[in-house]
Amino acid sequence: MILAIIENAFLSLIGSAIPASAVVMLAATGAMLGERVGVLNLGQEGLIGIGAVYSVIAVLSWGVESPWLAMLIGMMAAAVAGLIFAVCVVAFRASQVLVGLALALGGIGLSNQLGVNRNGTPIQTLFREVNPGGVLDNNDALSAFFFHDPVVYIAYVGLPVVLYFVLFRTRHGMNMKAVGENPAAADAVGVSVTGWRIFYSVLGAALTGAGGAYMVLSFTPTWSPDIARGRGWVALAVVIFAGWRPGWAVAGALLYGSMISLDTTAQARGWGLPFMGASDLSFFLSMLPYVVTLVAILIPAGAVKLGRRVRSTAAPAALAIPYSREER
Amino acid sequence: MTPLASIASAVLSVTPWRLERRLEVDAKRAALTRIGGAVGAMVVVGILLLLTGRNAFLIFWQALDAIFGRQRGIEGVALRGIPILMTALGVALSLRMKVWNIGSDGQFLMGALAAVGVGIHMDGPGWLVLILMAAAATLAGAAWILVPALARAYWDVNEIITTLLLNFVALQLVTWSALGFWRDKEAAVIQSTREVPFTLPGLPGANSVTIALLVPLAIAAVLWWVFRSTSIGYEIDIIGGNPRAAGFAGIAVRRRILIVMLFTGAIAGLGGMLQLSAPGAQAMNAGFSAQFGLSGFIVAALAGAAFWGVIGGGLFIASMFYAGIVLQTKGLSVYIIFAIYGVILTGIALGEIAARYRVVRRDSADESGTAAGQAASAPQGAGS
Amino acid sequence: MTGDSARPAVETRGISKAFGGVAALDAVDFEVRWSEVHALVGENGAGKTTLCNILAGIYRADAGQVIVDGTERDFRSPAHAIDAGIGMVHQHFRLVEPMTVAENIHLGWPETPGVVSQRTLNERTEQFMGEMGLRVDPTAKIWQLSVGEQQRVEILRVLARGARVLILDEPTAVLTAKEAEDLFAVVRELAAGGLSVIFITHKLREVLAVSDRLTVLRHGIREITRPTEGATASEIARLMTGEERVLNVEHRVVTGDPALELRGVSALNDRGITALHDVDLTVRSGEILGIAGVSGNGQTELAEVICALRGLESGAITVDGADITSMSVRAVTDIGVGHIPEDRIGMGMVLSAPVKDNAVLHSYWTEQFSQGLNLNRQSVIDFAKKLVETARVQTRSVFATAGQLSGGNQQRLVARREALAADRLLVAAHPTRGLDVNAAQEVRSTILDKRDSGCAVLLISDDLDEVLLMSDRIAVIYEGRIMGVFDAADADREHIGLLMGGHSITEAA
Repeated sequence: MILAIIENAFLSLIGSAIPASAVVMLAATGAMLGERVGVLNLGQEGLIGIGAVYSVIAVLSWGVESPWLAMLIGMMAAAVAGLIFAVCVVAFRASQVLVGLALALGGIGLSNQLGVNRNGTPIQTLFREVNPGGVLDNNDALSAFFFHDPVVYIAYVGLPVVLYFVLFRTRHGMNMKAVGENPAAADAVGVSVTGWRIFYSVLGAALTGAGGAYMVLSFTPTWSPDIARGRGWVALAVVIFAGWRPGWAVAGALLYGSMISLDTTAQARGWGLPFMGASDLSFFLSMLPYVVTLVAILIPAGAVKLGRRVRSTAAPAALAIPYSREER
Repeated sequence: MTPLASIASAVLSVTPWRLERRLEVDAKRAALTRIGGAVGAMVVVGILLLLTGRNAFLIFWQALDAIFGRQRGIEGVALRGIPILMTALGVALSLRMKVWNIGSDGQFLMGALAAVGVGIHMDGPGWLVLILMAAAATLAGAAWILVPALARAYWDVNEIITTLLLNFVALQLVTWSALGFWRDKEAAVIQSTREVPFTLPGLPGANSVTIALLVPLAIAAVLWWVFRSTSIGYEIDIIGGNPRAAGFAGIAVRRRILIVMLFTGAIAGLGGMLQLSAPGAQAMNAGFSAQFGLSGFIVAALAGAAFWGVIGGGLFIASMFYAGIVLQTKGLSVYIIFAIYGVILTGIALGEIAARYRVVRRDSADESGTAAGQAASAPQGAGS
Repeated sequence: MTGDSARPAVETRGISKAFGGVAALDAVDFEVRWSEVHALVGENGAGKTTLCNILAGIYRADAGQVIVDGTERDFRSPAHAIDAGIGMVHQHFRLVEPMTVAENIHLGWPETPGVVSQRTLNERTEQFMGEMGLRVDPTAKIWQLSVGEQQRVEILRVLARGARVLILDEPTAVLTAKEAEDLFAVVRELAAGGLSVIFITHKLREVLAVSDRLTVLRHGIREITRPTEGATASEIARLMTGEERVLNVEHRVVTGDPALELRGVSALNDRGITALHDVDLTVRSGEILGIAGVSGNGQTELAEVICALRGLESGAITVDGADITSMSVRAVTDIGVGHIPEDRIGMGMVLSAPVKDNAVLHSYWTEQFSQGLNLNRQSVIDFAKKLVETARVQTRSVFATAGQLSGGNQQRLVARREALAADRLLVAAHPTRGLDVNAAQEVRSTILDKRDSGCAVLLISDDLDEVLLMSDRIAVIYEGRIMGVFDAADADREHIGLLMGGHSITEAA
């Protein structure tokens, strides 16, 4: 009986965590793509904003009626921003930290500016949830994992599986990892470090943009200023927590998501504690996602320091280091 | 050579000039190209404004007029300058050690929050309460960076994301204080904390600027002295330049990193108290920090962690900030300021790279090359 | 497989290349025939590696032509060079450490299957190894391999891609005598099979042992190309340096109290593996004890434990009878231990800091410069100016950054700085590595002067010639163990070479 209640609470938490952190999942995958080839893009927060605002513009101003097309437009806008970033840091070798922060700031500012007249306008062009059709209904315990948008399944299942396969089972993935670990070695065997770094930075930016598009086309679903609210930074933290492994990113994103849904559930149900009223508890819980994320990235580092060293969780050795063939 | 440098070389190849990498970049040239990058970024922004049908020249003129045309404008810049300068000095100090403290916003907020806590709960002479507020703010700012600093110093956890995540926690805490535990129940319109009943004395001749303006100037002077003539500054620069060499010289690198990071947090935290002690800003709400930390970060990047440069750059960014607020009435939103920040920061980063190349005349370069080669080899021959 | 044997395999005409305004190559003509081992000889900085990097598509020449098997080529990347059949094994290997041997061999190779499993990669690797007659465990990670094995992986990788011209950059620098012999055999076999091998080296013995023809470069200019047969070592040396030079070192036998003593010292390396096993060593005042050994046999750790940069697992270290085992870096420096570190750029100096700051890196805290918090700027500047002058460092001013100095000048600065700090003991790790002859000579003189003034010197070098030249006594290190200690007079080159490769004394005898 008690077990059933706990199980129920857990499932409902997961059920709402899944869509809540789908954005984080998409952005983390996007960031991971870039980082695997050695490019650290701190601009995830801005890319989410750009992806979101252009999807909103596509729907509200350009009359796009398909959520997929709106998302594609958001992705392309983010990809353009990602291209500018990549050209600066890969081709011009500018500091990845500085330009990444510039992208975060500029992306937030630009998207807020573009969205300024569209605040709060509800979006009608939404993704339709995947209905398992008669096998399950809404009350079933396992329903936590169903009745989501198709984007959710792409983010949590499709992308990690594809990325895992590419990274660890293909020639392409082998070359990718080499570019991130030792670009000089990749270059010496004829892998174009510049080309691969730019390509995956742009592709990664597009995925993060898809995260922003998902927010406004399904999760909120409306534009509001500062739409990312730290999710871009959380995504970067999730990549560290996951040790640059696609599967572990799912766990990291869900950890964050369940903290978010704990907060919203507590608010909706007016939970309180003996020493803390409902509103105070809600304020407290709203800090938790960030605190938990912070603790989560300390775990792998702590594990290394305390002697349980796992080599495969180290960052790509050439992360954030510009590569130039004629410099040693 | 990078592909784009190759393209640039290709373009130049039909001219008598060519692109050449410098072996080493000196600091003055890097500072000039950084400023050049920032100015170039402003030009790009101006062109973008023109393209969107706004009169960039008029806007620029209006901004200048709003700032320098009246005392209110100059004081407005100074008021915004104080928090920006404080966070910028903290970031600049950490940059001397190649540590990126992106959480100065959080440290700033926590400093202000601690100051509010002291200010609304303490009774006593105003000067004493203000001193205690400053002490509390300094400690709170340092405490807010303690976990990222420990993690960076002893566990080698990159500080960028850890410091940044704490900004969000600080923001939630401030919101909680304004709407919850320290809420001013009498104020109906804007929800904020109760008001601190003390302010710092004003500067002579100023309407709203207090002696708080002197604090960043004093800190900049102290930091400048520390790095010019003390062994502590020397050690920090060595750690920033090459941590392994610092270990070789017997410097306790990890402990130094921890201490310096705590100081950067403390300076930002004190900035929060200074902001709070200005007349009319004595209570906190969710909008207390208008991203001062990020503005400070840009200032430090622009100044390349040179402390007097921080003062100049800080007043420049503060002017932009103030102009942005004034121009809101002219059809621009405050958001555009952040977009412009992004462009400027990119300009700075590209400017830093530009310092590494120079354009030389073909024939003269060849001569100087041979000359350099001879200069390098001749004395060695003489030495043997 | 090979082209028309009448045409040269590779030819360059008038190749020039400058870095930062300094010419590295000046109108070099160079030609390699099919089926030959061609030695490319010159001092450090003569332009050997730059020339080969151009052939391998790493650098682009500022002027001149590259002709491969009769066709002019313009390599814009290493991929182009590989397509043209040119493969290079770099001095610093280009291998991805956390990946396996099989993965590294298949990296960036169009013939690697699109979807791969470890098994197929391993099988394919086994197959090449069989064909090429070279063997390494395909499943091993690179970081688990010895340097010689890593080099074999590099060679296999180049050959697997069908290279017909193989460039080896200083391939024996990191090998034991035995491994080097094995490499020579492989090289001669490849040439016999029709390939061309360009063998970059500055060791004359190797030139004579392995090559068919040789080309000497000096200051970026080709001095000569000639058949190896009939050439003598002294003739090549003269062409390399433009002068004959001899450093006469008188070896001494010193008795008296030891300045440095190590008793049963064991220590771990960065990976947590034991790098020093129960090491006993004694260095007396006024003598140079040379440590002979192939890099990576514990020399780095040996220098670091003495200078308190690395902790001990067991054992004790004394200087002048005082136990320094658990002293701090600073305390050890204060009792008069100087250290020319192996990695002068990575550890010995701060490139972004001015020369004046680098000059006091190992002494800024002493009373001469620091009074309380205050670091006396003027005395730092004065000291730096004097150091620059006595060490003959070529620099615009003491305010220029250390990064603006050439490698030779950097090492002059570090060597003199440490010599000044060393009252009792100077630990010099690979002090002349990468220097041209003149700079090396000056650094050696600095060390000899130090010995003559009564300081104890521990000289670590992987250049056996240098150890034999400089040392009064020689200790051989292999896998963290001292294999034997000899007086300079009794030292037998061949015997020491065998010990360096891990053969015990009885075997050697």
